[in-house]
Amino acid sequence: MAALSELRSPRPGPPAVNPLHEPGGPDDALVRAAQRGDRAAFGLLYARYSRMVHGILLSRVPYSDVDDLVQDVFLQALRRLADLREVSRFPGWLVSIARNRANDFHRRVKPNEEFDEESASAQAEQRVPSTRHSSHSSAEAHAVLDAIRSLPDAYRESLILRLVEGMTGPEIAARTGLTHGSVRVNLHRGMFQLREILGRKASPPTGDAL
Amino acid sequence: MTTNPTDPEKEKMMTENYLWDASGAPDPEIQRLELLLADFRQVDRALVLPAKIPTAPRRFHGLLLRMPWFPRLAAAAAIVLALGVTLFFSLRPKFAPDAGPAWDVANLEGAPKIGTKTIAVNQGPAKLHVGQTIVTNADSRASLSQSDLGEIRIDPNSRLRLVQTDANRKRIQLDAGTIHAAIWAPPGTFVVDTPSAVAIDLGCAYTLQVAPDGSGTLRTTLGWVGFHLNGRDSFIPAGAMCSTRPALGPGIPYFEDATPAFRQAIAQFDSSPQDSPARSAALTMILSEARAHDALSLWHLLSRTTAPERAQVYARFAALVPPPKGVTRSGILNLDQSMLDLWWNSLGLGEISTWRYWEQSASPQPSSNSQQLLQKKQSSVQDQR
Repeated sequence: MAALSELRSPRPGPPAVNPLHEPGGPDDALVRAAQRGDRAAFGLLYARYSRMVHGILLSRVPYSDVDDLVQDVFLQALRRLADLREVSRFPGWLVSIARNRANDFHRRVKPNEEFDEESASAQAEQRVPSTRHSSHSSAEAHAVLDAIRSLPDAYRESLILRLVEGMTGPEIAARTGLTHGSVRVNLHRGMFQLREILGRKASPPTGDAL
Repeated sequence: MTTNPTDPEKEKMMTENYLWDASGAPDPEIQRLELLLADFRQVDRALVLPAKIPTAPRRFHGLLLRMPWFPRLAAAAAIVLALGVTLFFSLRPKFAPDAGPAWDVANLEGAPKIGTKTIAVNQGPAKLHVGQTIVTNADSRASLSQSDLGEIRIDPNSRLRLVQTDANRKRIQLDAGTIHAAIWAPPGTFVVDTPSAVAIDLGCAYTLQVAPDGSGTLRTTLGWVGFHLNGRDSFIPAGAMCSTRPALGPGIPYFEDATPAFRQAIAQFDSSPQDSPARSAALTMILSEARAHDALSLWHLLSRTTAPERAQVYARFAALVPPPKGVTRSGILNLDQSMLDLWWNSLGLGEISTWRYWEQSASPQPSSNSQQLLQKKQSSVQDQR
């Protein structure tokens, strides 16, 4: 039936770029196709970059809001895609949108912090992402996530992409547009600082600590 | 850590390798953190886009700001806007949060929620308004009903939003989970948006399932359903099913009583790139396993194959279901729409003009021109029959 519609459609057929044929290839062609209005190409960019966007948002906003914000980021990207002149800058451009969206989220949320028992309990429920871990482990997971979030921006983003989203250093570099060297430094310095924070938390309080 | 503890440099390098690209000896501490944090990882979720994307305003604000008259113009605009807002809020009717058309919601089991509010068992039917979302967890089920539409049962772990409800169109968005729909509204009235296709009721009962990755499966038990995405359409009559995947859209529908080899070949054909050996092998299997009943799948294959493949499909299809009067081989190979429609109608699986009507009326603002085209197309189908 595709062809039935193709006969009537000014833009018939499958996506101009078939990413199934080039899973690891450059994304420039996909970005160009998406700029021309090819929804399928944009869907594939989403498939490739949504994990990165999820990680960047998770490093800045509550877990329960991240999924919706990921959708917002891609919707915003789709709206503005025609303005992106250098398609090779798509990764860094998308990172900027994600960071701005997270900042915007905090700007909008802070002035309206009213306590609503029902929604607060619902959010608390959503904050526990799954039942894979015990409540103790879940609390520990939140504590570790909070510790990562306390790190400088560059370190926390790289660490969350590595430890939470399961991306490797080279993948992080490719998806964020950073150099391998930068990602490597962020990961190692971030991990070093994280170990220090977790070590402090694990140690019993002493007079020195006070 | 499997390295020699007396060799700290080597140990450090391997740990660094693991942190960098997960190669080398795993660092137990990093592994523990990975496991601990895995629950925060992104769950594959399809991108849901509105039908029309408003484009962002072009960047001319910088130019505006440099204009000498801009501050005065902005001040005047602000005053007009303030007056307008004041007038609007003073004259508008008072807002009633539960006003407007709504569907009845019943709690079938557990604690389904509309937004964050739980639907109590004994409270009588709750209302689902346009824009509201109903969510069921692992232990809850709910049902939606509307007198001139039908009934929709919502299985556990589902998330559904009411998008539109008016005389001509009832539309919901199923983000995840399973619904069972029994619809008595006129064909084409009830529409379900999913992350990977739009399901259009053509007079039937069916089950629609959306997986966390956005892919979907539709099984029809009565009547037939159209599955549509980006110009790709699949028709699923009673007894048949069809899968759909994000970005790719609906696959080839098939009857559930087809042979396992046939069903497997359909899945392989749908997922294989064009010109690949796997696709070619799948097509060979489909054609050899096809029964007359499987003309459903062969008809869809006609328009999803290359010209050489189409000739093979035509030969097998024509052998199983001879083309009706007015349908020629060359017309089918050239994908003549009216001939394809005639052949579809001869299968007795549904009247395709119903679908053509939906296609035309689905346009947000159908022009008078498109209505004329529709009437022309319908009368041409009638004439040919």
